[in-house]
Amino acid sequence: MRFPWKRAETELEREVAHHLHELTAEYERQGHTREEALRMAKREFGGSEQVKEQCRDERRWAWMNGLRQDVVFGARMMRRTPVITLAAVLSLGLGIGANTAIVSLMDLVLWHDLPVPNPRQLDLVDWQGHGFPREMVDGASGSFGDSGGDFFSYASFRALRQGVAGLASLAAYSYPGTVSISFAGHPRVGQERPVSANFFSTLQVQARLGRLFSDNDDSEAAPATVVLSHRFWVSALGADAGVIGKTMSVNNKPQVIVGVLEESFYGLVPGDATDLYTPLLHGHWQETPEGKAALNNNRFWGVQLIARRAPGVSEAQLLPVMATIFPTTWSAQPKNAANAPRIRLAEGGRGLGSLRDEFRDPLLVLGALVGLLLVIACTNIVNLLLARAVARQREVAMRVALGCSQARLMRQFLTESALLAMLGGVASIVVGYLTANLLGQFLAEHDNRPIAVTLDFRILAMAGAITMLALLVFGLFPAWRGSRMARGNWVRSGAGNVGFAPTRKWAAGRLLVIAQMAMSVVLVMTAVIFTRNLLAIQSADPGFDRRNLVLFGIRPGTSGYEKSRLPQFYFNLEQQLAATPGVSAVGMASVRPMNVGGWWENLRLAGQSGVVNASINGVTAGYLPLFTSRMVAGRNITRAEMNGGAKVAVISEDLARKLGGQNTLGRIIEFAGGRPGEKAPQFEIVGIAPVIAPTSMKERPFAVWLPIEKDVSELTVVVRTLKPPQMVLPAIRQAITGMDRNLPLVEVVTMEEQIAKGLQRERMFATLCSGFGILALVLSVVGLYGVIAYGTSRRRGEIGVRLALGAMPGDVVSMVLREGLGLAALGMLIGIPVVWLGAKYVEKELSGIKPLEPLSIAMALGMLLAAALVAVGIPALRAAALKPAEMLRQE
Amino acid sequence: MDLIQGTLDLLILKTVAHGAIHGYGIAQRILVISKETLQVQQGSLYPALHRLQRKGLLKSEWKESGNGPMAKYYSLTAAGRKYLQEEMAQWQRYAGAVALVLES
Repeated sequence: MRFPWKRAETELEREVAHHLHELTAEYERQGHTREEALRMAKREFGGSEQVKEQCRDERRWAWMNGLRQDVVFGARMMRRTPVITLAAVLSLGLGIGANTAIVSLMDLVLWHDLPVPNPRQLDLVDWQGHGFPREMVDGASGSFGDSGGDFFSYASFRALRQGVAGLASLAAYSYPGTVSISFAGHPRVGQERPVSANFFSTLQVQARLGRLFSDNDDSEAAPATVVLSHRFWVSALGADAGVIGKTMSVNNKPQVIVGVLEESFYGLVPGDATDLYTPLLHGHWQETPEGKAALNNNRFWGVQLIARRAPGVSEAQLLPVMATIFPTTWSAQPKNAANAPRIRLAEGGRGLGSLRDEFRDPLLVLGALVGLLLVIACTNIVNLLLARAVARQREVAMRVALGCSQARLMRQFLTESALLAMLGGVASIVVGYLTANLLGQFLAEHDNRPIAVTLDFRILAMAGAITMLALLVFGLFPAWRGSRMARGNWVRSGAGNVGFAPTRKWAAGRLLVIAQMAMSVVLVMTAVIFTRNLLAIQSADPGFDRRNLVLFGIRPGTSGYEKSRLPQFYFNLEQQLAATPGVSAVGMASVRPMNVGGWWENLRLAGQSGVVNASINGVTAGYLPLFTSRMVAGRNITRAEMNGGAKVAVISEDLARKLGGQNTLGRIIEFAGGRPGEKAPQFEIVGIAPVIAPTSMKERPFAVWLPIEKDVSELTVVVRTLKPPQMVLPAIRQAITGMDRNLPLVEVVTMEEQIAKGLQRERMFATLCSGFGILALVLSVVGLYGVIAYGTSRRRGEIGVRLALGAMPGDVVSMVLREGLGLAALGMLIGIPVVWLGAKYVEKELSGIKPLEPLSIAMALGMLLAAALVAVGIPALRAAALKPAEMLRQE
Repeated sequence: MDLIQGTLDLLILKTVAHGAIHGYGIAQRILVISKETLQVQQGSLYPALHRLQRKGLLKSEWKESGNGPMAKYYSLTAAGRKYLQEEMAQWQRYAGAVALVLES
């Protein structure tokens, strides 16, 4: 097949050839020899390539042909300068990709609406009080802070729901709890969220399969039903449509699967871990006698509320109605009416605020850093393109001399920029996906699932547009300069280092490098700070040997064991495990150690007033010896005390010191949280243990160990192994399967993994910031290298003369080094105050170190200086190796 | 004598109007008819031919030339003929006006 532009090209050749042929013939007729005639014809015709080039511009298919030529030529030029091309593509990809991922995540967590219709109609309901409203609340389930609480009694819910009918639909839900699930013979553990029957209709969520709850489901007479989250249905049940109507065992209670939620509904918050939704009256909180009683006890406040206003109803209309009803549902009115809880409405369209509150600051910090990175990347691209423009001045001049029009030259460079942009675009999508996945994982803390961060392509387009603009504007620079050079008859002047570029223009490049260095200081410093923070926390001494420890949970109490059988079961389990080859010791605890959070109490010495907050754990006699081989004073809890439910306690050494030193042994401590008039639980201190981190590497709270309840329904087993835990785990699993095939092990991890889990956030910061820091370092090294290499290549003549006149290579090296390191140092000097100003914004993310330690500053500056030395050293050495004679000849 | 800017197209169209002719022929004929006064630069002739063809004023075909190789012969299209008449009238009015001013 012949392309139209190909044909045109051949025809042009032939046409020009014909003209020359006729002209030659004419001269031959005038009596010249053939050779002479040929030469004269050529001279008269002029530069045939110029004519052809002009004709090409006039042609119909010119643009097509031109584009093809531009792309091919552009690709060739890019291959010829692989370092610049790679650096530019990486700058683009990393800058745009990382930005898109972070901003997409920020959008999802901070600004995104719940995936339900009309999210603006939703309100979260809570109340503001003056301290915990003890006068009317005995027990609560929810979150309580300075600004109030989010929990209500079931009676309040019912009254409010009725009272606002017509104005709004009010639904109740509670926090998800861990339940043991068994379906088709497969035991597993999941998160169950009890909700009121109108929960889904209030949110206006649809069922993917089957049906959601109706009012009939939320009655004690109705059979227990369950709605599955889409994720659970896919991951645990293999997306089997046949499960609808089947029965699944939840905490050993049969529940009928009635429906599966639509896929888009991730829950009340991104990363919501809920697997199952059950009607409030059949939820896990109803399993205990206290839970059952709580329904009719308006002193137990255990549900959270969400309202959807009817169309046209404002919060201002709804709130007074609720505020009037709320106090009528209390068991007692407060003595001081001013201290009474006051109901509030908060915007609910974006779902629960927990994730938002927790990650707002970290995400804003990351967003700022990644924005800075984009600026550095842009600066770098500008610099690279400027450097490339210089490298190609000769080529441009040649093309202008051969008749290339300015428009054509512009188009050529535009095409090259577009090629670069396209490669960068592809790279940025790859980087974006990788970063988004990584981020989603990092945000999965203990009560969250990994968040599925989907790249927002609007954001990608926006970040892309900014960068592309820089790319295009500065990509055209060489063409613009090239056409100016043409007017100056550049070719005639010969060598590649004469003819233009007054020093003033290069000031732009130097300024860019200084700015880049300043920004890099911020990013590298942040990377150093967060990495050192993580290392400091990780390498801190938890007070025990963290190697060769395995933890796993078991929940026999919710998997079919009667309470009366549990003590024997736990005893057998301990015996079995202890006899397992490779196991050296076994202990059990009611609270999983190093799991952040847990059980806390305010306590005091009986009869005294000062209270201290301590982390509490119920443990077996074998538990403490797993962590420490000695007691500071007194003794450990005994098996007899455990079985007898003795009121004894072992406290940590620092708590003992706080309460009164060694003589605290034998004294009584009591929990200070009890209600007035009720006797607080009291324990005799029988032992003082060394300080052991009970909850996390990040804190060293006072710790108290009590004998574990012997019939607790679930607990965590901790095993110390003689060999690496992975080698012993199969035997441990086998031992438990041998006792009960249907008992799932919950979250089997080594202690190292458990510790790492608690440091996810620190690791997220350290990893991302290190990534950004390394990137910034690489980008600014490339930028600095570009500027200095350009500078020395422009000064080749001058350097040649210097060397010829007796300058030593060492002088040249130090001259170039001085210049380059001067730029770097100036940038750093500007960056340090910025770091100093920004330090307070990251302070609260740090628990291992202070933000501005001299060592951190020294490390960051050292790294930058070393990088700068490499960037400047290469062109310096290259300049010093110039042969003066060669240089002068080129002149 | 160099051509006055903008007159080349007109000269080419007029020359081609006499019958199909190749590029070299156009240059030669302009030279001969103008009594060796008007020298068409080869470097501008071919771009102009290509431009006129793209505008649809000229068409071309490959034919055997009198003495040997194939040559590209240009001829006027209908649009070209119309354009030429308009431009010639325009030029004559212009040249007349210039002459009046110069002879006054």
